Order: sequence, then C-alpha cells, then structure tokens
Amino acid sequence: MAEIAFRNVSKRYGDTVAVWDASFTVRDNEFFCFFGPPLSGKSTILRLVLGLEMPDAGEVLIGGRPVNRVSPTERNVAMVFQNLALFPHMSARENIRFPLVERRTPEVEIERKLADVAAKLHIGHILHKPPAQLSGGERQRVAIARALVRDPAAYLMDDPISALDARLREETRVELKRIQRELGKTLIYVTHDQEEAMSVADRMAILEQGAIRQVGTPLEIYDRPASTYVARLLGSPMMNILPLTGGAGEARIADGSIAVAGLALGDVAEVGLRPEDIRVSPWDQGGAGRPAKVYEVEPLGGYTVITLDAGAARVRAMVRGQPEIRPDTLVALSCEASRVHRFARNGSAISQPAETV
Amino acid sequence: MSEIHLRSLVKKFGNFTALKSMDLRIGDGEFMALLGPSGCGKSTTMNMIAGMEVPTEGNILFGERDMAGVPMGRRGVGFVFQNYAIFTHMTVRQNLAYGPKMHGRPPAEIDKRVGAIAELLQLTPLLDRRAAGLSVNILQRVAIGRSAILEPAIFLLDEPLSNVDAAFRAVMRTELKHLQRQFRQTMVYVTHDQLEAMTMADRIAVMDHGVLQQVGTPIEVYNNPANVFVAKFIGSPGMNLLPGRPAESDRGLVVDLGPLGVTAPLPDRLASTLRGRPGEVLFGFRPEQAMLAAEGRGIAAPVTAVERIGARTIVHLGQGEMAMKVVVENDQHASFGASATVVPNMEAVRVFDRVSGAAIAGSTYG
Repeated sequence: MAEIAFRNVSKRYGDTVAVWDASFTVRDNEFFCFFGPPLSGKSTILRLVLGLEMPDAGEVLIGGRPVNRVSPTERNVAMVFQNLALFPHMSARENIRFPLVERRTPEVEIERKLADVAAKLHIGHILHKPPAQLSGGERQRVAIARALVRDPAAYLMDDPISALDARLREETRVELKRIQRELGKTLIYVTHDQEEAMSVADRMAILEQGAIRQVGTPLEIYDRPASTYVARLLGSPMMNILPLTGGAGEARIADGSIAVAGLALGDVAEVGLRPEDIRVSPWDQGGAGRPAKVYEVEPLGGYTVITLDAGAARVRAMVRGQPEIRPDTLVALSCEASRVHRFARNGSAISQPAETV
Repeated sequence: MSEIHLRSLVKKFGNFTALKSMDLRIGDGEFMALLGPSGCGKSTTMNMIAGMEVPTEGNILFGERDMAGVPMGRRGVGFVFQNYAIFTHMTVRQNLAYGPKMHGRPPAEIDKRVGAIAELLQLTPLLDRRAAGLSVNILQRVAIGRSAILEPAIFLLDEPLSNVDAAFRAVMRTELKHLQRQFRQTMVYVTHDQLEAMTMADRIAVMDHGVLQQVGTPIEVYNNPANVFVAKFIGSPGMNLLPGRPAESDRGLVVDLGPLGVTAPLPDRLASTLRGRPGEVLFGFRPEQAMLAAEGRGIAAPVTAVERIGARTIVHLGQGEMAMKVVVENDQHASFGASATVVPNMEAVRVFDRVSGAAIAGSTYG
C-alpha cells in the first residue's frame, strides 16, 4: 500500500504560509501531479512527504500510517534527483548500487535488488555504460532505477525536466509517463508547466499560495475548473474571462458583443470562454454571430490564434488550420452555450444547470 | 531605407565556424525571425548586424550602405537582450527617458514620448515605481520600451521573452507583433522557440550548425519545409517522418513503409517526380494533418501513449524510427495499447530524400 495522504496539513516559514490546510489522497500506483505558479507550495509538499519538514499542524500519512514523527530515512519514499542527474564517473550499475552501498546493504541483497530494478526498467543491457554513453531516455531510466532500488513505497520528482529544451521535454514527459505505467508505482510529481502536468498526470492538484484549490483528472479540471484562478492556469492560450454588464435578466457578455443563445446567467458575474470554443468566420461571408475586429493573427501551423476586439473586451480564439483571416478586418464571433463557463463574483464556478443548455 | 542585406557573411572564432556564408535580405519594415537551436549561429548573426562582432568575411548593408567599420552607436539600431539591462536605482520613467536624454532631446518632447511608450506597453501606472522592486515581466517591458522610445529604424531583439512566464509571454507575443505592425520598424528577432517565430514573424530564417536552412513565411516553412531539419524543428509536435520505398500498386504510386504497411496513392505531381527514382525516402506528414480510424486502409500501428492536453490530444503510435504522432480532437477516441490506423491527408504529404534529407521536388506546393 503506497497511498499518501495529507490531513489538514499546514506549514509556515516565519510569517510566510507555505502550505495551508492541505488535504488530499494520492492513490496507490497513481501518477499524481502538483501544479501551480512559483511559491504556491509545490516543493514544500514534497519536503513534507519526504520528512524533510515537520508540519505545523495536521497529519501526513503514508500507507495509512501517520508519519509525522517518522524520520526521512524510515519513510520509505525516494526522491529522484533534479534533472535526473547521475554521477558521471560511475557506470549505470554503480550509480544504481550507490544508495544501497551507502546504507551498507549486504552484497547479495544489492545484486538481487539491482537485477530486479534493472529488469523492471529494461536496462539490464546498459548497466556497464557510463552516463555519457547513454541516450537521454536511458539516463532517465537509470536515474529512476537509482531511486527505486531501495524499493520505496513511492517516488517523488521535483520539476525533473524543466532544464531541457522544449522539443526534448515533449519527448521526455511521454517517456516518464510510460515508465511510471510500466512500474506501477506511486509517483508524486511537481511541475510548473501546465502542458506537462496535463500530459503526465492521472490526477493533479492545483495550488494557490499553499492552498489546494482543485483535485481531479487533467480533463476534469480543464473542462470544469472550480474557479477563475484554476481556469486561467490550464490551457494555452488561456481561457478568456469576461465580465458581464447589465442587470439581472439582461446580462450581456462584453457589452453584448458576444451573444450566446440560451445561456442562463442568473448570479453569474463573469463568464469564461476557452479559445478553442470560440467560432470565428469572415464577416463578409455572412458568418453567424456578432461582429468583432481582428487585432492580430498568429499562425501556429496546425492551429491559428486570432486575437479579437469584441466591444471593450479583448478575446483570443484558436481555430484549426490556416484560415484566411487578416488583421483589422471584421469577423463573426459565436460560441455555444454549453461551452460557456460561468463564475460568481468571488470567482468560484457556478455549475451549469443541464436543462438550460 | 532600413533594408538589411547580408552578403556571404561568415564568422569564425579561431577554428570554429559559427556562421557559414549566409545570404539574407531583410526587407524594410519586415519582421524577420532568426530561428534555430543553440549554437546555430543566430545570435552571432545578430551581433554582427548590431556591430558587436566583426564579420570574418562578407558584408552587411543597411540599404546601400556597407556597415563595415561603422561602430555600434552609429548604426541606428535598437537592441533588447535576454537579460534586460535596467538601471534598478531609477524609476521606470527615468529608465525610459534615459536614451532620449542622452541624445539631448528637449524635456517636453521626452515627457511626451515617455507617456506614449508607457501607454503602449501598459506601464503608465508604474512610471514612478523604482525598477528594483518590479517583476521580471515588467522589467522586460521596460527594457523593450527603453529601446523602442528611440524609434530606431532597425530593432534587434535577442530572446527577449525567454525569462518571462508562459502566460505573459503569450500576451507579449501578440503585443510585440502588433507594435511592429503599427510602426513598421525593421525587426530582427532571435529565438530558439519555433512558436515565437511562427506567431510573430513575417518571415523566418531557420538556421542549424551555422547554416541557413530555409527562409520563408511561417506558413511556408510549416507547409513546405526545405529539409528534414526544418520539418522536425517547426511545429509542435514536429513532422512525422517514416522511412520507406516508393512502390507501384494498382491504385498508383504508393510508399511501402515496411512493417507499417503501404500508404494511400501519392498525388499525381509527387508520384511523377518519385517514379523511377531509386533509393529510400522519408514519408512526411504533420501530426495535425492526419486522422485516426479504428480500422481500414492506412498505416496501422499500436498506440503507445495518449496525451490529453487541454484543447488537443496527441496520440503517439509505433516505435523507433516508425514512431509517429497524430493530433486529434478530444472527442476522438484512441486507447492505449490498441492498434489504430493513421490516415494522412495525402495532399499535405511531403517526401524527403532519406540520405540528404532534402525535400523532393513536387512535394512542395505554392
């Protein structure tokens, strides 16, 4: 059992609140990701799991057992080093053996565990090589093997691939996910990259100033963000969040520049529109919707981001392909009611009454 | 005239050749991105345009005028670095006013210009704040403003957005592009990020290992990459490239992809160039220009990973050199482990020589 749970855990450093009343449960064998802006408490949570920090309040549980008073070495969780670093002067084998040798584990047991972890990670054939002769993917596997050779209940990674360039990160995150799936072991993972978080996580927790704002699968959070804060963190370009004007019963989005048929607005203060949910078509071709002026057009190749001025609001739309739309022209703008996210004055989401959409 | 003309430009550092004979014409008022991985020679090229480095061979012309021997300060270029050089003891206003003041502009004019540039860069509420306490995002805007306020005819930017956070970077991309479209300075923008180059530039010069690989509009380099390097570097994910051999079939010329099966017939123009051409090719298609089918004719491979990233889903299929990716809408189903059939849009297929990596003529359009 490698379930890891926090029960109302708080941690301060002097006057700074690092983690505030955090409760969550990471399930056995889950790839669980903490995501938030810098200083939102991600790394502190890892340190609390590892036992490098004591909570000021609340309880940390590993496998159902309270571990607040258990030392880091006895917690049976392992940290994979930042950037998956290996000792360059040692072979892969020596790198993996290192944590056990340090602990004066008997030689027979070291070799047994080494063989075991090497088989799990499919690296038996490269154990004799130094890190310099390994590919990026092989180095990752060796770094993970080194963390896992002690057979921890769970392993932890703190933004392990942030130093790589964009293209390599895209490949590496898929490889990490594949390794975790093969191993079937609980992994707690921290990243500051929303795309990476959504790519790798089975479930994720969104943090704001030490507090957990939402826990769920990436798609649950993306499709049903609990607040405007969460909504803005996931997705690129980010969700358009637009204020409503006019009173109850006649509320309008962006001064009426975006008309959404059949949308119940009630207590809604702001609405959110994902860029990919906005439909754009050239105005002179008689497209459906209200007119908006094109501010900029940014081609991505497979997609195009179109920034629009709709009334006083600046809105980003993302459409597939390479449409013939030019800056300073008029386009017709529309969105389906079922795609509109609704938020109350305090920023929290108002769930969609299914009947009205 | 603020046209920039690089003629057979070479830069060597000792035995190392940073730039191998580059020819490039950057039009007056054009936004040109120099794009490539680190060590490709893009910053070296920009430094020579700025006058910070002296070319080993070749010339740099601004309009008709050769810049050889013209010092940096006399070239009339504005420069923004990755690491903004801001005077932290000064306010935002003093930082912005610094350049015009040094040039001896009258105070009334300086005030007016500072006001205007602050408005454009949304710095007005921060004008009297000291730079020392401001965020990286704001400092980068101040750095751009401090250079832009001198209204240089040529604006050089070297990775100006690489230190700012992702959300702000997206906003700045739009704003920088808009600024440039309004004022029509000649802009040379160095970046390793294909997304920045694609979204902002009028044209992109793609570079690798000191060699210019291709120059074209974002859509041109995306749709018609000149070679395998450009095909892979542009796009996110890059282009799929599968090794295979042209083969005749009763439906026309196809590419035999070995274990993956054979492709649909190639379009006529491509088929006629490839027919009778010996040797292996790389069959290329963009992840966004293919569909997934549960079965049927096409390239069949097992799904090795499914990434659901907000608006899009990236499906990974196959392994090793037969690995490929397809970007699908979120409602399209692909499950890990199952086999799926990839159906590329054959009009968007590009074919490359396996050995040289060059695009095969007839494979490009427009």
